[in-house]
Amino acid sequence: MMKGGLGGGSKKEGKMRIRAFPMTMDERYVENIWSLLKSAIQEIQKKNNSGLSFEELYRNAYTMVLHKHGERLYNGLREVVTHHLESKVRQDVLASLNNNFLQTLNQAWNDHQTSMVMIRDILMYMDRVYVQQNNVDNVYNLGLIIFRDQVVRYGGIRDHLRHILLEMVVRERKGEVADKLSVRAACQMLMVLGIDSRAVYEEDFERPFLSQSAEFYRSESQRFLGENSASVYIKKVEARINEESERAKHYLDESTEQRIVAVVEEELIQKHMKTIVEMENSGVVHMLKCQKTDDLHCMYKLLGRVSDGLRTMASCVSAHLREEGKALVNVDESGANALNFVQSLLDLKDRYDTFLVKSFVNDPIFKKMISSDFEYFLNLNLKSPEYLSLFIDDKLKKGVKGMTEQDIELVLDKTMVLFRFLQEKDIFERYYKQHLAKRLLLNKSVSDDSEKNMISKLKTECGCQFTSKLEGMFKDMSISNMLMEDFKNHIQTSGTSLCGVDLSVRVLTTGFWPTQSPATCTLPLAPRNAFEVFRRFYLAKHSGRQLTLQPGLGSADLSAIFYGPRREESELKEKSDGPSSSTSSTSANGPRKHIISVSTYQMCILMLFNTRDRLTYDDIMNETDIPKKDLDRALQSLAMGKPTQRVLVKSPKGKDILPSSIFAVNDSFTSKLHRVKIQTVAAKGESEPERKETRSKVDEDRKHEIEAAIVRIMKARKTMQHNVLVSEVTEQLKSRFLPSPVIIKKRIEGLIEREYLARTPEDRKVYTYVA
Amino acid sequence: MDLGEDVSSMFGKRSKTNSNSTVNRSRTKGMEEAPTSFNQKKCIAWFRQYSTPNNADTIGPEGVEAFCRDLNVEPENIALLVLSWKMGAKQMGFFTLQEWLLGLTDLQCDSLAKLQGKLNYLHSLLLDSSNFKSIYRYAFDFSRDKDQRSLDVETAKAMLGLLLGRQWSLLNSFFQFLDQSRYRVLNKDQWCNVLEFSRAVDVDLKNYDVDGAWPVMLDEFVEWLKVTRGESIIQ
Repeated sequence: MMKGGLGGGSKKEGKMRIRAFPMTMDERYVENIWSLLKSAIQEIQKKNNSGLSFEELYRNAYTMVLHKHGERLYNGLREVVTHHLESKVRQDVLASLNNNFLQTLNQAWNDHQTSMVMIRDILMYMDRVYVQQNNVDNVYNLGLIIFRDQVVRYGGIRDHLRHILLEMVVRERKGEVADKLSVRAACQMLMVLGIDSRAVYEEDFERPFLSQSAEFYRSESQRFLGENSASVYIKKVEARINEESERAKHYLDESTEQRIVAVVEEELIQKHMKTIVEMENSGVVHMLKCQKTDDLHCMYKLLGRVSDGLRTMASCVSAHLREEGKALVNVDESGANALNFVQSLLDLKDRYDTFLVKSFVNDPIFKKMISSDFEYFLNLNLKSPEYLSLFIDDKLKKGVKGMTEQDIELVLDKTMVLFRFLQEKDIFERYYKQHLAKRLLLNKSVSDDSEKNMISKLKTECGCQFTSKLEGMFKDMSISNMLMEDFKNHIQTSGTSLCGVDLSVRVLTTGFWPTQSPATCTLPLAPRNAFEVFRRFYLAKHSGRQLTLQPGLGSADLSAIFYGPRREESELKEKSDGPSSSTSSTSANGPRKHIISVSTYQMCILMLFNTRDRLTYDDIMNETDIPKKDLDRALQSLAMGKPTQRVLVKSPKGKDILPSSIFAVNDSFTSKLHRVKIQTVAAKGESEPERKETRSKVDEDRKHEIEAAIVRIMKARKTMQHNVLVSEVTEQLKSRFLPSPVIIKKRIEGLIEREYLARTPEDRKVYTYVA
Repeated sequence: MDLGEDVSSMFGKRSKTNSNSTVNRSRTKGMEEAPTSFNQKKCIAWFRQYSTPNNADTIGPEGVEAFCRDLNVEPENIALLVLSWKMGAKQMGFFTLQEWLLGLTDLQCDSLAKLQGKLNYLHSLLLDSSNFKSIYRYAFDFSRDKDQRSLDVETAKAMLGLLLGRQWSLLNSFFQFLDQSRYRVLNKDQWCNVLEFSRAVDVDLKNYDVDGAWPVMLDEFVEWLKVTRGESIIQ
């Protein structure tokens, strides 16, 4: 027995000599060592390792390698292992093909691993030295390779293994029981056999698994679709995904999870998403209609898994939203009611905001799409700006029933959201001014604060230019109040008579307030004189200014006495049996005094009857000079409204006012109220010709705005190419309206003609500013 | 028209020659005259043959007509336009003494015969493209009513016919377009751009650049032309 270690023999006295280790071993010796090792290995393989001495075997292996017989050892090892696996193990496994195959294979695998570990330990020196130097597989890996090639990938075994594993999966999917642990063990084995890659697992199991799964899910999808319900489909898909996920995590290899889920997503979602989304009576549209926020959320989650899934869903939602929006917006003329119009749009926005938050988790794709849809259909109806203004007008007027300040604030904020979508904001501005003017002048605002609040909201959206005129209007109101104070003092101190007229004047700065069509009418003497007093007073204070009376905006309170019998009495004459109990007349038989609140025009009309009993329409028109449209409206309110409003009577009776119609004071006028306010037949929206006029005014304004923008830009930049100029102009104006490139071009041409701009001689597409 | 090198050597030359120099080397037809140098007095006297009775410093429309007759040139002849351009004449149908002298001194003509000899030269100026452009632009101001900024469509068509009649094949289509359009006048920018258009855009309109900053009128012309050719449908 050779002793390991350096230095053999005895130490010589004195000199320490290190003798070279005897390198040669004779063949017989090597053979012996190898036999020893071989049988040891075989014993290990037979699981009879208990009687072996680790130290001895290790030493032997070490010796062989040291004496440069590593190769022999290595080859020998390979032979032994191969032989064992080939002749014993494989046979065992093959025998078990139809009987406990997986368990047998697993057992064989475990045994192999155990024995290889032990073998490796014995041959560790070879691993460290020989294997390293010769760049061959180490012992353990060698064992794996042989096991892989001789057992696992041996024809029949390989196929059967695959078959069994796939079989298990099929059963599981059907809901039957399968031997999960064996499957797991087998998969782990395959993973290990790949050594540093998952190639074996992939080729022998995963690839066929994935392709079988794809087929399976292909038919599953048809089955699911057959149920014809999107929400059911989604739930089933979710269930399957979870199932596959679990299976991969626990029983296959973890790395498969991502891949199998991708297969399910592909087969069940990607390929059918359009069908699901568009499914009749259960798809997205149905869910939207029935407010099924949860179902939508499930679908959202599901479709979010595949590329373009969300976009498919979003475009379906968008199409439906646009339809809903269009339906709301395309109300025809007669049915159009501004308040309903806007309210229905606000309700629609609320609904979709709920969807956005609850179903779509504030996803930016959906958010953007909802905004662009609203922008699209809101601007389909050219009256949207007007309606929006009327809606806000309604909310700012006194008598908004049942809403607290917070409620109103909330509604106005939501209205601002719609406002943002308007493309023709300049038209809105025009109407807002008109409506605000009416509110201020007729004293209809709920509160100054709410008005100012609204204006600051608009300022935030559109900048000061938008709101500066509106603010000017407010200023005028407060200045007018102060002015009236001064005027009253002036009257008192100077003792001037106002002819019995209690005059209140509001002075409006022309640029701020909406332009009125110049209208004059012939005022009755008393108010006319009273106004003259004021005019003189004012012009004394502000020389150089011009005051023009606006009869269309004023109002008057008239004190009226009616001498005729009360209205009811003349209708009570019938019911008498026996002696006519004349209880009729005596109660308050005297003349009735009332205060009638009317518009200026109505005042002019009524005052005529102080000197005359009856007048024809023509008479009235000639004497008052009131424009026909206003005259008709005024007379309608006075003569053809509710009985408690009918201060005048018209003959002949009937709906039409003709030039020959005759008007007279209604002597029987009766009202429970002392002060009667005559409601003007208010035109809720504009009439068609009025609207056309507004629009043409807007177009005029736009021309100027475009030209101003062009000049502004060119003045700053001196020269600019045509396309660049057009896009800059569009950019600058887009917060007010969207000018078309053709219109901008026309304006450029106009400016060229008037020599503000010129084309450069070198390039006719480039303009230059003419100073 | 065969111009020969003597004319081409005068190409673009608009320099004022002084009255003592250069012999007029023109080809004369018919009337032979011994070449004499330019005489301003003679030129003025010649002017006075046509000037109006109440204003000796202006030739009015009848005078112009007579002048043309004597020159043996129709008033619509483009040579007259070129001559007016040379003179810097402000208003069609009128020449002032100043304008007369300016133009004729440049041409070194103080008599009918000499001027007749220069007619070919005048025609030749049109061949140079920058001269042509200048003459074209001049034509607008020359032919418009002085108290209007724009040129009425009928006069415009006449001038365009004169100037572009031979070189722009789309001219007639353009006239048809104008006839059926609302346009009653052309402004200067539109006028100038018609020339550019005739030079830049092919008959088949394929290279018409919609973003080319052409005046709206020309955009409309192209659109109309495409429709009439059946190439597009107006919505």
